[in-house]
Amino acid sequence: MKTELLHGTLEVMVLKTLSWGRMHGYGIGRWIEQQGGDALRIEEGSLYPALYRLERKGWIDAEWGLSEKNRRAKYYRLTPAGRRALRANASLYADFAQAVARVLGASQAPSEA
Amino acid sequence: MGHPPNEPSWRRYLRFWRPDAKADVDDELQFHLQEHVDDLVARGMDPLKARIEAVRRFGDMTQIRHTMQELAQEKETRMRRSEIFGVLKQDAIYALRLIRANPGFASAIVLTLALGIGATTAIFSVVNSVLLRPLPYADSERLLVINERFGEGLGQASVGHFYDWSEHSQSFTATAAYQGRTFNLTEGEPERIRGARVTPSFFQTGYMPPLRGRYFRPDETEASRVTVLSYGLWQTRFAGDTAIVGKEITLNGEKHIVIGITPAAYTLTRFDERLWTILTFTPEQRTNYGAHFLTVFAKLKPGVTLNQAQRELERITEDIRRREPENMKQRGVQAQFFSELLIGNYRTQLWLLLSAVTFVLLIGCANVASLLLARATARRKEIAIRGALGGGRGRLVRQLLTESFVLAFIGGVTGLLVARFGIRFLVTTGPAFVPRLTSAGLDPSVLMFALGATVVSGMLFGLAPALRATRVDLQSELRVGGRGSGGLVRDSARSLLIVTEFAVALLLLVSAGLFLRSAQTLQRVPLGFDPTGVTMLRVALPPDRYQSPEAVQTAYMRIVDQVRAIPGVRAAAASTRVPMWGPSIDMGITVDGRPRNPDRVETGHLRPVTAGFIEALGIPLKRGRMFRDADLAAGAPWVVVVNETFVRTIFGDENPIGKRVYGWTDQAKPEWREIVGVVGDVRAFGQENEMPPEIYMPITQLPQGAWDAFQRSMTIVAAAEPNAVIAPAMRKAVSAIDPLVPLFDVQTLSDVVSQSTANRRFNTQLLTFLGLTGLILAAIGIYGVIAFFVSQRTHEIGVRVALGASRPRVIRMVIRQAAVLALVGIAVGAVGAWWATKVFGTMLFQVGARDPVAFIAAAAALLIVALAASWFPARRAARVEPVKALAAAG
Repeated sequence: MKTELLHGTLEVMVLKTLSWGRMHGYGIGRWIEQQGGDALRIEEGSLYPALYRLERKGWIDAEWGLSEKNRRAKYYRLTPAGRRALRANASLYADFAQAVARVLGASQAPSEA
Repeated sequence: MGHPPNEPSWRRYLRFWRPDAKADVDDELQFHLQEHVDDLVARGMDPLKARIEAVRRFGDMTQIRHTMQELAQEKETRMRRSEIFGVLKQDAIYALRLIRANPGFASAIVLTLALGIGATTAIFSVVNSVLLRPLPYADSERLLVINERFGEGLGQASVGHFYDWSEHSQSFTATAAYQGRTFNLTEGEPERIRGARVTPSFFQTGYMPPLRGRYFRPDETEASRVTVLSYGLWQTRFAGDTAIVGKEITLNGEKHIVIGITPAAYTLTRFDERLWTILTFTPEQRTNYGAHFLTVFAKLKPGVTLNQAQRELERITEDIRRREPENMKQRGVQAQFFSELLIGNYRTQLWLLLSAVTFVLLIGCANVASLLLARATARRKEIAIRGALGGGRGRLVRQLLTESFVLAFIGGVTGLLVARFGIRFLVTTGPAFVPRLTSAGLDPSVLMFALGATVVSGMLFGLAPALRATRVDLQSELRVGGRGSGGLVRDSARSLLIVTEFAVALLLLVSAGLFLRSAQTLQRVPLGFDPTGVTMLRVALPPDRYQSPEAVQTAYMRIVDQVRAIPGVRAAAASTRVPMWGPSIDMGITVDGRPRNPDRVETGHLRPVTAGFIEALGIPLKRGRMFRDADLAAGAPWVVVVNETFVRTIFGDENPIGKRVYGWTDQAKPEWREIVGVVGDVRAFGQENEMPPEIYMPITQLPQGAWDAFQRSMTIVAAAEPNAVIAPAMRKAVSAIDPLVPLFDVQTLSDVVSQSTANRRFNTQLLTFLGLTGLILAAIGIYGVIAFFVSQRTHEIGVRVALGASRPRVIRMVIRQAAVLALVGIAVGAVGAWWATKVFGTMLFQVGARDPVAFIAAAAALLIVALAASWFPARRAARVEPVKALAAAG
């Protein structure tokens, strides 16, 4: 199943991923895929514009470095502002997800007024 | 996914110099695909298939790559911008730190700039308010005033002219006639109001929407008894009561309905009329071409030029000449723009003041530049070190320029404060009749001007020092140990600044000198009368209660008697006019026994007076006798007294005593009057103007209609001891005769005389002030340069003294430096002034624009100041102890 994700959702997930430490774009994609399983299989390309937008917002910053295989890679890192944004947004999305779950899991039919 | 093949590989090296956003995006994508392929291959996929799979999983590569590049580009632009701001901020902080480190130096510069920018801004705000802003009326650039040309001058138009011009012309959308007059407003406290009678179309020529109510309708006439009030009158007299529209007020004893109120901006000067009533003409008046009392306003049709209108009016006026040759002697027509009539007089004067104050700012900038140059020399070592450490020249220039701009902006902001006070000073002390002067203020265009002046100043005084300071030869500077080795003669930049300062200061001083000389000459012009101790007030008798000439005469004679009885008053009298104040009506004069010369226009200005008026003003008797009380008695023979100009223009060398003349009345029934006395001329129209021929006449012997022409109004004068305050007693005396008659223009004659030169005095004072400021700034400038010269050359002077140079010789050497600079500046300035002062033209009074006294005095003042300013540093130089100087330098 291919899920079209909202920008906002993807951004929060990227922030969460980077909260573990610096990581390159490919790594971020892998990690989200591993954590979310098939349900969250994102189209990999859409990750990069999200990263650039987060960089523009000042929530993450980037620098070039060398990967384990000695390749030149661009590494992203969470900024203090990004950490604050993650805190604020993570709970928001959790609430949202719970609310959606409640609605979809409801056992009572809506009463007709 | 590598680089596109068409992109040269060297492009990648650009990243050494600055980040290459496009290449970074490609590299990042490349890395992603490689990693993915590796992962897939590790899981056992065929490398080729793995690559296809990786690209497929990625999605729309072209689109994503494009989005990423855009975002990256955007980010980089922002970074570069913030980098520039960061540098500027760093420079500004550095500049502020330097300013704090040397507050005396900085405050001298800021103060100079604040005064210069502030004064320039203040005068610009006046120029802006009076000259540059368009008039408030709709399409005001098409508003004209049409006058009759009379000989050399311009005169008012007759009713016949007005109708012919209006009805036979195609150039105008509207024409209107206007007659200024005063009204007795008797709601509550009686008051005399300046106003005008206008044809109903008047408010269409200079149109602004009414604030309340409406303006006159074309079908309304004088009999409609309607009036429009000015905003000012509505506020002061009726306290802004909106219910006044539609109510009745009493003007000259007649009820008028208030139909509208003009907006505040409609009134352009403090002397503008304050209410309007309707002027309509009888059929007889419409064919009258002989009585000239109308001002004609007209609005050009769009696309019609002033010249076209003028030519059309000339054609119409030539038609009138064919029909009315007798009335058109020496007469023509002249249309001009209303704005030109209103502010034309002030244009040269205000631009002159603005140039003068700009020159002062320029001298100030030169001083600041000179100070910065001096400091730049002292900072050579610092700059050399920064250069050696890799500070590029551009970076250093930018740093120094930033310092200059920081100083300029602090100066500019402080200058706004100065400007605020300056504007208040100009508005309160400026001549009262300058239109729109009172609305001068710090509006957006004035603030823009101040900003412009600040930026230009910053560039003027900042650029030269910055460029020069960075032209330092690093090696020699560091090797020599930072001792300034450039002498003054080689210091061409600062020499040039001083020469410029002195040239500009000379120009300012010559201008001030010319105006001072004019004022001085003017002061020596004899008035022809003695205003000392004379107080005047004007009275206008309402026609409803003082209809007949006898009633008017009796009332004025009684008022004069009452005033004369005031203790301390040594003489009292009445006249329709005092010199320099009040209405003046001239009339054609015919001499008994002399044939009328159709080409010659002989006129005299009529002055109805009571006995004793000429004596009260101290006008000297030249021939014959003054009026006696008996001349004013009923049935007395008709007599007149004339002035010397009257005699000279009409009788030449002939003795006029006993000659008979008439004027005003119809030729068919001449009323002969005998000349019994000749008195001295007075400066009736101000000290700068020619003296008119005048004819004094007892108020009991006036020609028919004269009281209507003078609006039954007279000036009462009372002579007492100088400084005696008799105005209240005079008011009481008039009220004792008629408590309902309004009094106005209560003032001393000395004030009247002083007002007549107020504009000139204002100009002269401002120019003198600016000239002196220029002088002081030039003195400070040359002092700074010479003092710096001495301090930089202590070592050399020490050597000279050690080698036997006497102290006077050292002093001479230093002063000579100053004198050379000052003299070159003065010479340059004199050449400039020689050409520039021509613009003064008629603003000078009996003083040539190249008056040698003004030139020599200005040059001498500057030279003396230059020598005096260099004396102190020279003395310091002479006191140099050779041993100490050499030891310090070693």
